[in-house]
Amino acid sequence: MNSTELIETQEWSFGSIIGYEDNPLLIINSEIVIHTWVIMIILALALASINIILQYTTIGRFLLIQLVSFFIDLTKQSLGYFVFSHCVFAGSLFIFIALCNTASIIPWLDEPTRDLNTALALGIISFFYIQVAIIKARGVRFYIKDFFQPFFVMLPLNIVGKLSSIVSISFRLFGNIFGGSIITKLYFTAIRGSILLELLGILTGMNFLIIAFFTLFEGLLQAFVFAMLTLTYLSIGTQDSSH
Amino acid sequence: MHHSSEFIHYGVIASSIAISSISVGLGEGLISWSAISAINRQPAARDDIMRVAIIGMTLVETVAILGLLIAILLLMYTNAYVTNHYAHYAEIGIACAMGITGLVIGLASALPAQAACNAVARQPFFAHRISGFMLMTQVLIQTPMISAFLVSLFIQGQSDAAITFSDSLRLLASGLCVGLGSIGPAIGLSAFAKAAVTSLGNNTKAYDKLLSFTFISEALIETPIIFCLIIAIILLFAIPKTPITNDIDGIIFLAAGLCAGLGTLGTGISSGKTAAAACTQIGNHPDAYNMLSRTSILAQSLIETVVLYTIILSFLMILFR
Repeated sequence: MNSTELIETQEWSFGSIIGYEDNPLLIINSEIVIHTWVIMIILALALASINIILQYTTIGRFLLIQLVSFFIDLTKQSLGYFVFSHCVFAGSLFIFIALCNTASIIPWLDEPTRDLNTALALGIISFFYIQVAIIKARGVRFYIKDFFQPFFVMLPLNIVGKLSSIVSISFRLFGNIFGGSIITKLYFTAIRGSILLELLGILTGMNFLIIAFFTLFEGLLQAFVFAMLTLTYLSIGTQDSSH
Repeated sequence: MHHSSEFIHYGVIASSIAISSISVGLGEGLISWSAISAINRQPAARDDIMRVAIIGMTLVETVAILGLLIAILLLMYTNAYVTNHYAHYAEIGIACAMGITGLVIGLASALPAQAACNAVARQPFFAHRISGFMLMTQVLIQTPMISAFLVSLFIQGQSDAAITFSDSLRLLASGLCVGLGSIGPAIGLSAFAKAAVTSLGNNTKAYDKLLSFTFISEALIETPIIFCLIIAIILLFAIPKTPITNDIDGIIFLAAGLCAGLGTLGTGISSGKTAAAACTQIGNHPDAYNMLSRTSILAQSLIETVVLYTIILSFLMILFR
């Protein structure tokens, strides 16, 4: 058994802990981890060559400046004021998730976000960043007092309400990408059988339309929504609600 | 017993195409009615209004085409499982998914086209942008139909292997979840899209702001549908725990599907109405866009917390049964 086989056959399962092994949504897939590494390498290469891009290519320079100014505007728009670290955090979340969502246009690569684990990890990162930012902005006393807000009995409901933001933000990302990837895979397996159907798909532009809508459009939109919701939760938490 | 289950099979085939055709017919009637009244108001813009109406009708018809595809697929496989009664019971899920979703979506995706006809009559020189905007909103409204189609395909693929009553209840619950789950969000999406297109007709200068607001809001309103799709897919892959035939498993599956499906009803409608009100105000005062969009997104994300409770509950029901 060589090393690649070993990696493919190993599966760690959350489901096995609670005695529920059959659900494919709960298995940690080691392929997805490798695909995430590939995306990280792509991002690292882009980061290493950023000086070359800025100095020698006009299109890359233009696009980078557009992206950065777009995120500065977005942060100002949704927070009402500008904080550099929030802008950088939302921007890097957007870039990573956008690349993850559209990864299937690269051959042999799947979207890592079609796995619930990746989406949940991103949601948890975003959640903890928001909590730390709220504590920094308003102080620990306010943060703890906020849990008892209308009156003392509301403590469990407030905790559940806070935690549900993780589930809401990550399930939204996961569900959209998972549904889109299933639809594209079904379509391409359906036309793979006959040459006539494949030719028809290429010539009528149906292949392009399916990929453009379900992979590119939906992926970029969901990445944008993720970054936007992180900024919105930040603005809920850090702003004074008393007036 | 045998004949009654065949009756169910043909009933499913008929209802999956008939119910969606009824709603598509009603929706196209609504579009042509408002197109004619718009031409009556602005006869010079006749060509533009006709073009917008025809694009709208073509998109509404997608619903009926998907229903027809499912009906043909079921008809082709009629002889494959004549003796399996449980497969026929599982097929009721297909009728729920395609029928309920088709009924709602056919009417819901007609509303933005109606509003677009009136908007073109009001702003004839902006017809190109308005028709593009309408196209985008209609495509987004029709995503629940695609998810219902997907789940129906899965149910059809698995119904052959359904050998116990709990299996067929599981597949039925999966279809019910998608069907019921799309009612509320579709109504909310159509209310929002109608308000967005109307306010674009009132104030063409707010085009950029309305466009970006529409993208975010429609993605937020649509989220309950995605949650329902996840629950439906989990139901499709869930395997009954006990090897012995146990009907209580099937009843738990049915309860989980109903819980997730009915939970989205109020959330979808109220989220759509919130976004629609914000959209109307953005059309009236584009300068206040920052405050309006922030308030609307905040309200929508708080409203959607409610639907998460039902989703988590049904998820736990399936996991720890």
